[in-house]
Amino acid sequence: MADKEHGDVSSQQNNPLSRKLNKILETRLDNDKDMLEALKALSNVLSDNSLRSRRNLRSDIEKRSLTINEEFLSAFQAVKEQLDSVYGDVKAMSDCCADMTNRLKAAKAQTHHLISQTTSLHAESQKLHMKQEVAAAFLEKFQLKLEEIKILRGARDGALHEDFFKALARVKQIHSDCKILLRTNQQTAGLEIMEAMALQLESGYERLYRWTQNECRLLTGDSPDISPLLCQAMQALQDRPVLFKYSLDEYGTARRSAVVRGFIDALTRGGPGGTPRPIELHSHDPLRYTGDMLAWVHQAAASEKEYLQTLLKLCEAANTSLEENLGHITEGICRPFKVRVEQVLVSEQEAVTLYKLDNLLKFYHNTIAQIVSAESALLTTIMEVQDLSHRMFFNSLSCHANRLLDKVDLPPADLGPTPSLTQTLQLLRDVLACHDASVVPVDDKKQDYKQILSCVIDPLLQMCSMSASRLNTVDMAAYMINCIYLIQSTLALYQFTDTRLEMLQAQTEAQVDTLCSEQAAYVLNRVGLTHIYSCVQQQAEIQGPLSQLQGMDTITVKSAMNKFDSYLANPDSLTLPQCNLLLGTLVRETVKKRSVELICQAYQQMYDTIMDPKHEYKDPQATVPRTPDQVLKLLS
Amino acid sequence: MAAGPYNYSYIFKYIIIGDMGVGKSCLLHQFTEKKFMADCPHTIGVEFGTRIIEVAGQKIKLQIWDTAGQERFRAVTRSYYRGAAGALMVYDITRRSTYNHLSSWLTDARNLTNPNTVIFLIGNKCDLDAQRDVTYEEAKQFAEENGLMFLECSAKTGENVEDAFLDTAKKIYQNIQDGSLDLNAAESGVQHKPATPRSPISNDQPPSKEGCAC
Repeated sequence: MADKEHGDVSSQQNNPLSRKLNKILETRLDNDKDMLEALKALSNVLSDNSLRSRRNLRSDIEKRSLTINEEFLSAFQAVKEQLDSVYGDVKAMSDCCADMTNRLKAAKAQTHHLISQTTSLHAESQKLHMKQEVAAAFLEKFQLKLEEIKILRGARDGALHEDFFKALARVKQIHSDCKILLRTNQQTAGLEIMEAMALQLESGYERLYRWTQNECRLLTGDSPDISPLLCQAMQALQDRPVLFKYSLDEYGTARRSAVVRGFIDALTRGGPGGTPRPIELHSHDPLRYTGDMLAWVHQAAASEKEYLQTLLKLCEAANTSLEENLGHITEGICRPFKVRVEQVLVSEQEAVTLYKLDNLLKFYHNTIAQIVSAESALLTTIMEVQDLSHRMFFNSLSCHANRLLDKVDLPPADLGPTPSLTQTLQLLRDVLACHDASVVPVDDKKQDYKQILSCVIDPLLQMCSMSASRLNTVDMAAYMINCIYLIQSTLALYQFTDTRLEMLQAQTEAQVDTLCSEQAAYVLNRVGLTHIYSCVQQQAEIQGPLSQLQGMDTITVKSAMNKFDSYLANPDSLTLPQCNLLLGTLVRETVKKRSVELICQAYQQMYDTIMDPKHEYKDPQATVPRTPDQVLKLLS
Repeated sequence: MAAGPYNYSYIFKYIIIGDMGVGKSCLLHQFTEKKFMADCPHTIGVEFGTRIIEVAGQKIKLQIWDTAGQERFRAVTRSYYRGAAGALMVYDITRRSTYNHLSSWLTDARNLTNPNTVIFLIGNKCDLDAQRDVTYEEAKQFAEENGLMFLECSAKTGENVEDAFLDTAKKIYQNIQDGSLDLNAAESGVQHKPATPRSPISNDQPPSKEGCAC
């Protein structure tokens, strides 16, 4: 159906009129807004729908159009005029701007030089500013501040401030920093600053030294007031060894005189109101006097060492200078001390006192050696006086010994010790006893003992032998035994006497042997057996039976044996009187026992011989009725 | 720098006496080192220690001489009484014999020191109460009769040790304040250091104590 319609339409289009018609018919008036608007507008124009007006519509509209156009024109006329005026204004402005631009250009051209100059100046200023900062930093590091210089120079009165050491340390720091500066290419500055600082340092040290010297000079009180500042000063002065040493010397000199004064005061003035009393008040008592002096010296040395340690507490490796200085300080008292002790020693005669003094000095030598160094004058002095006391003591001992030998006493009738022996032994006892109470080390003691013993015992023994030389054998033996016994019993109480005792024992033995054989011989002699015994002993050289010999016949032997028998009944009757005079019970017993042994031995020999049939004794049983065993039993 | 322990106004000299083995050296060691010294060897002659204490705001340096108790050193130690400001007389509460010898020590102390010397009686080893041989009351009475100060101490535990040394110093200081102790004499056992040193330092600077509290 669509195709048919389409065909219709195409046929219709071919007809213009139909086309027009169609077009009109197709027009939907109510849809065409423009048309409606136009018609509405037209309706306004057409005030009344009359023919005339319909006929005139066109001209009316045209007229209207004309009026509107005229109005339009006049309106645009005004607009144009306005625009023209605007154009004029803008043009004027443009001219003005161009003028200004020109002028600006000219001005810019003119100021360009100025600007570049300013910029360069600005840069320069910045550079300078930086330089200033660098310079300030440099000065800060390498220059002293005004007040520091002032501090280093010090006040007129020479007072020293604690800041001084800070300033001094800074000068030192700068000086050492300069060495770094010298490594860079700032050598001139480095050298100059270094030189300046060296000058400052020197004057600083010099001032410090002067101050320290002054301070030290004032330290003469009993106990010096060592301020922390002074310690710091000593620490700082360590960098100048010479000044350090001089300052320390100054201190030493001041202390030395203080110590001497203190010593003399203690010796002569004593304490307040006389307590403690002056040391010299006891000068009559050598031990007390010397001991007090030494104790004072010991205490002073200990105190002085403390003060020195305080002074040098900030200094490193100050040990040697401390010891040297302490030696110097204590040197002052050496002379007054030595003079007094020497006086004591020289005027003292008593060996015991001298020995006690010797030990006291030895003890203090050891004690004070823990405080002062071995090379110090004080210790040397003590050593010297100790040596003197040692010599004086042995001098006194040998004097005593020599006196013994000069005037030898005769032994008394009881063969006991002579007074000089007992006296000397008492002296020895006193000496050794005070050694027992002494305070010196064991080694020294042993050495001393040896020397003392040889100094006393040897001459003593010599004296005994000399005095015994005028006696007969038995008396001499008994006397010697007694003397040695006394010496022995004295020595046995003390240490380190063993060798001596052994030697004395050997001498006693010899004397005991003598005495025993004398005793045995005496017994044999008294009972008439001497001849028989000697014959028995010599039987080897004799031919034939002994009974044939003269004085060896049965009767003689028998009568002698009878006498011997009565001796056996009362053995004490034939004891030598000298044996009873022996002082030592033990020795007395020994002599008795050994002489009995000797007698028994002799009897045994005689008995054996007589009982021997070879000697042709008749009835030997009756001749020697007692067996040796019986004899031994009876005698012991 | 701090003023350090070396600034002191006085030096007091002490002496410690008493029988052998009562613990004199241990007391000294406890006081100076604050430690107990076991197996302390016998003192040979005299030994010496120092410590700085404070009494009534004054720094005082104690110079203490510790003597040997053995009889054989008696002659030596007697010389050290001279010029002591304080004497500490020690006995052992567990050994009656050491207490019985006190009167002889006291006689020595009275004869050899000056009348102002402060004598302080110490009963040592009070830690060994189980082995006690001398009662507190008895010793206290002895001290009162003889005008001595008295405390029981233990060098081992440190009990009362500090007090004994300090009380002695306080008493000496008091004597100085009373004027009964004459400082001008060198052998009073007390040495005074003037509060205003002669050195020009102090003229233009405050005392170093205030100057550096750091």
